[in-house]
Amino acid sequence: MRDILRLLKLAWPYRAWLSAALGLSLVTLFANVGLLALSGWFIAAMALAGINGTPINYHYPAAGIRTLAIGRTLGRYAERVVSHQASLRLLAGLRVWIYRRIEPLAPARLESYASGDLLSRIRADIDSLDNFYLRLLAPVLTALCSSLLFILFLWYFNSAVALATGALLLAAGGFLPLAVHLLGRKPGARVTQTSAELRTAVVDGLRGMEELLAYGAAGRQKERVVELNRRLLADQARLAGLAGVSAGGVGLCSGLALWLALVISIPLVRAGSLTGPQMVMLALFCQAAFEAVLPLPPAFRLLGQTLAAARRIFSLADETPAVKEPREPAQLPETPLLTLRGVGFSYSDSAATLVGIDLDLAPGRKVAVVGTSGAGKSTLLALLLRFREYDSGSMTMAGREIREYDGETVRRLMAVASQQPFLFNATLRENLLIARPEASEEEMIAAADIAGVHDEIAAFAQGYDTPAGEGGVKLSGGQIRRLAIARAILKDSPVLLLDEPTEGVDASAARSLLERVFSFAEGRALLVITHSRIGLEAMDEVLLMDEGRIVERGSHAELLARSRRYRDMWELDD
Amino acid sequence: MSEDITEKPAPEQRLNLLKNRVKPTLLLAVGLGIASGFVLIAQALIVAGLVHRVMIDGSGYREVLPQLLWLPPLMLARAGLSWISERVAFAASATIRQEVRNDLFQRLLDAGPLQLKGDRAGEVATVIVDGVEALEGYYSRYLPHLAVMAVVPLSILAAVVPADWISAGIMLFSAPFIPFFTILIGRGAERLNQRQWQTLARLGGYFLDRVNGLATLRMFNASRREAEMIARISDDYRRATMSVLYMAFLSALVLEFFATVSVALMAVVIGFRLLKGGMAFQDGFTVLLLAPEFYLPLRLMGNYYHARMEAIGAAERIFNLLDTPLAPRPAAPHPLPPVSPLRICLEDVCFRYSPDSPPVIDGVTLNLAQGERVALVGPSGAGKSTLAALLLGFALPEQGRVLINGVDLAQCDLDQWRRHVAWVPQSPHLFHGTIGDNIRLGRQDATDTDVLQAASRARCGEFIARLPQGLDTVIGEQGAGLSGGQARRIALARVFLKDSPLIITDEPTAGLDAHSETLVREALGELAQGRTVLSIAHRLATLEDTDRVVVMSGGRIIEQGHYDDLKGAGGLFARMAAAGEGA
Repeated sequence: MRDILRLLKLAWPYRAWLSAALGLSLVTLFANVGLLALSGWFIAAMALAGINGTPINYHYPAAGIRTLAIGRTLGRYAERVVSHQASLRLLAGLRVWIYRRIEPLAPARLESYASGDLLSRIRADIDSLDNFYLRLLAPVLTALCSSLLFILFLWYFNSAVALATGALLLAAGGFLPLAVHLLGRKPGARVTQTSAELRTAVVDGLRGMEELLAYGAAGRQKERVVELNRRLLADQARLAGLAGVSAGGVGLCSGLALWLALVISIPLVRAGSLTGPQMVMLALFCQAAFEAVLPLPPAFRLLGQTLAAARRIFSLADETPAVKEPREPAQLPETPLLTLRGVGFSYSDSAATLVGIDLDLAPGRKVAVVGTSGAGKSTLLALLLRFREYDSGSMTMAGREIREYDGETVRRLMAVASQQPFLFNATLRENLLIARPEASEEEMIAAADIAGVHDEIAAFAQGYDTPAGEGGVKLSGGQIRRLAIARAILKDSPVLLLDEPTEGVDASAARSLLERVFSFAEGRALLVITHSRIGLEAMDEVLLMDEGRIVERGSHAELLARSRRYRDMWELDD
Repeated sequence: MSEDITEKPAPEQRLNLLKNRVKPTLLLAVGLGIASGFVLIAQALIVAGLVHRVMIDGSGYREVLPQLLWLPPLMLARAGLSWISERVAFAASATIRQEVRNDLFQRLLDAGPLQLKGDRAGEVATVIVDGVEALEGYYSRYLPHLAVMAVVPLSILAAVVPADWISAGIMLFSAPFIPFFTILIGRGAERLNQRQWQTLARLGGYFLDRVNGLATLRMFNASRREAEMIARISDDYRRATMSVLYMAFLSALVLEFFATVSVALMAVVIGFRLLKGGMAFQDGFTVLLLAPEFYLPLRLMGNYYHARMEAIGAAERIFNLLDTPLAPRPAAPHPLPPVSPLRICLEDVCFRYSPDSPPVIDGVTLNLAQGERVALVGPSGAGKSTLAALLLGFALPEQGRVLINGVDLAQCDLDQWRRHVAWVPQSPHLFHGTIGDNIRLGRQDATDTDVLQAASRARCGEFIARLPQGLDTVIGEQGAGLSGGQARRIALARVFLKDSPLIITDEPTAGLDAHSETLVREALGELAQGRTVLSIAHRLATLEDTDRVVVMSGGRIIEQGHYDDLKGAGGLFARMAAAGEGA
């Protein structure tokens, strides 16, 4: 119920469109029922007039029949256009709403969702909310309003017919959908769940195909897909069976309404308290009235599925971001002097990941962080970028605690090339310009030159317009990494953070890459996380991290002289 | 009816061929639909007769009782028929969707990982899940209805002709307009629909892409900007959808116009004939009751036409995937010769990804002897990883042969061969599931003890032990929640669990720090005892204890020999070595 209210609240901005759709569907419905009833009355009255030779004014009813026929046709068209416009506008709004809700959650809060599943949540679930507005809310409101008006109309002629039809309308529009809903709730929820699992299994099977084949596990993954597929269709079959029951049920109720109208009217006609044409009109009216409840059973059948989707979307939207933005953010500082003192951090369910980190980043200073994998180097980056909140110690920017700044302000000062760079499904140019959309062609090429990737891009037939990402050109790991470096350089920020910039790049290329990066970083703060010893001699300070602590610090030469552990790290490369 | 007028596009012909798999079920659904139509006609005749007797003849209950009693069972029968036909039609479509979806997945597995170049996985998954779903209406509604539509209106017409030939004339005259306009408008919509599917796929891809890249967008403060892009693309989607719907609704408008106006016209004409005493009321009323039912199947056709267009839109992508080329496989693969001792020969092997791209492997001849440890080095793009893929049978050489103890690998059962190869890729894929399941990938039946032992030999036992749920810890896709080094070592544990005579590693220590690298190298050294090892190497330091170094460049082997000899040979390797570390 809370979810339904929340859905209604999201629909509120589109109320004008939705009520217009409701009004039009009422008009259409009345025109249709009226047309059948009036036609029946008309031919019955004409037949009696013909037999008895009594005069009859046929102009008005004949004109009425034509008007209702045209009104119904045009009304239906307008109603369809307006209700779909309403629904699609609402969906577009929902997409943006959910994007804005999950945007602050990235990346810290989204890591636990598999990307195939996340896709399913956001896209498929929002699409299935379509059902709520177009096939649920609108038909329910239409059915409620029109049924009441129908019963009032019938009551004017005969209360028994009105009551009988009312009861059948309630059965077809109330009990039947409710029963179908209750029976369909479990399979409906399972359909949503299973199709999400199926999607994950398919994506996993495709992305991990090399491993599956190499380890002889492809058959098992296939079995899993087959099994999920089977389960999905079995539950869908249950829902289809329920759809059959409800369609048949509404038809049966509408037939019974006609039958009851006849049964009630026959003695009245005989007694003369009801005319023959009125009996015909009532019978046809009763039967046609069920058009109002026709869309209800399928609507309720979808309710379970829709609510499951809504719940999943809301639970995602309600996650709290890892970092809370300040109420009154501080201004962008002049110099990006970053100071960390005793900074500590731990993931919620595990031991401390970072302990007592001291770090100084200032313009013109070059710092390298080295250490074992899992030592917390990437977490340090997440703290600097304000993707995660530090638990203890102090982190200041230009003398103010970094919490006082807006996350975007902090990130404006920083350019990052991460360890696992992401390329968007767009051209190389668009991928680079994400860093700075207003950058000129020359600036973009200059950045690519520094990263040593320009020549390779220029060699592609489409140059910078070559599509990248999924479905684009396949780039090597080294190329992707250098594109990420070019992107960071293009951003032209005072702080440059590079995570493993030379991995996948051969030694001589790595050396010249770092030379160019160092000269670009002149006057900027530079933090390099690395496993390679290339370029360490040029650093002002090297931090050796282990298990979340800085265990050694100093210049490369000092550390080589002083620390056996540090020497051991590079022994292999000499 | 549509068959006569529209030229069927290729996807629909293939959709139609699939129909044959469920022909009996579909025929049953059609039969039930037609039976329901006959019940309806009987019902109308009875109601008209009953009303006539009450209104014109002044009869009461006693006279019309048989008719009154006949009606409820007939109505019940209609409801039952509608229920069963719905189930049957769904069963037909479910069978087809199930088979198509399974076939698609199998086809992609058969085609191999190199066919999914550029990581099209998300897009392909959308076709397998949503695309196949879009076929539902075609088999469960459109096709059965097509047959019902051909029979039921004609039967109604047959019932109307004796009652009132003028109304029958109106029906006969107006009916053809309905499919005619449907098809006329539908053809335009069909073209639009292809575009809509593309827009839809683009939107889906765009959305997933931006959500996957949210972290990157935030790094560059571009994520809020993207919200506007998503709004714009969603708006494009609405426009694309509405442009299709306007057409679909317009065709519905034409259908309803003809149907409704014809019924209204019949009512007026019948009324005047009755006034003049030209016909019996019973006949007039029968026609009025049946007239809407005559048009109903024709009108519904408009709705199902939409289902058809949707299915055709999806079919094109489905069949494209189903047509993914497969390397020719022998009908009866040779049994793999005994692999101990193992001799592998590559004979003048050439390979390219597609016929119009340059060769990636260009005439490579290489022998691997039992127990030999060979390192492949060379600049990126030299073809090292592709060579490994050929040895694993992920792709077959375009030219030349890969011989396993003298037998061409292309003629062997590849699964059987891969059982003897352990492989550590450059960026291992971790599956959504537990750590234990991920390590058990190659040996489902391994005990926890085996798994933990493999884990500790891969030097990840320690961190797994520190996790509260140990092996049962669930990891996200792509190893979310683990560091790069941890993910790498979990992938290594798989190898330890699998006892294979050949080990292929693709830069197994890239991204590991020197400390972990030592551990992993020790472990690999332990594993390598008595086995053949082909390692794609990144660091020169890892080459010293190999028997042979093979240097590749531009898809060819340019030099090979022992580490020390090559270092002094003055070739590419010597230059790489001089540059310091790494290759």
